[in-house]
Amino acid sequence: MKSTATTAPKRRSTPILVFGTAWIVLYFGARVLLEKAQFATGVRVGIALAPIPFFAGFLWQVIKGIRSADEFERRVHLEALVVAYPLAMLLLMTLALMQRAVELKFEDWSYAHVWIYLPIFYLGGLALARKRYS
Amino acid sequence: MRNRLKVLRAERDWSQTDLGDRVGVSRQAVTAIETGKFDPSLPLALKIARLFGQPVEQIFFLEEGADG
Repeated sequence: MKSTATTAPKRRSTPILVFGTAWIVLYFGARVLLEKAQFATGVRVGIALAPIPFFAGFLWQVIKGIRSADEFERRVHLEALVVAYPLAMLLLMTLALMQRAVELKFEDWSYAHVWIYLPIFYLGGLALARKRYS
Repeated sequence: MRNRLKVLRAERDWSQTDLGDRVGVSRQAVTAIETGKFDPSLPLALKIARLFGQPVEQIFFLEEGADG
């Protein structure tokens, strides 16, 4: 029988911190540059995409961390996802319908504003799951 | 599902961390199992049973009325 239950939890915090820090610095740097300075379209696209590889790397490290975690930790993350995914669908469906009902202001409800709700939902789900098992 | 994990651990004077280290899970996992909030997988239950040298059904058992 292959044992997936007895893999010791490993510390994978260093690569997560490195990728996470690089992503956050580049994300806010890109936001500032795109909002405050004028560049040619190609340069603006390059600036906008610069944080993406680091965010992808950050997510990959998180996924690797969850895969190597014990079965309890994996359950907690699964339950976080079970909370976060329906909430994300609820938000997006509501915005989609509201967009047809009224004109949603771009300044309030662009992708730049909406995406941040997704990690918030996930972290909220994580907190709920941890509370449930504590 | 209930279990005798806390008693067995206390008999050996092990902390939750000690037990977790021996079977490869975190202290939080041991806490959740002991309080009955999290049911271990079969491989983990078997590993715990082997560690304590007892059949798995003498450590983990269904609550009354929960076997239907």
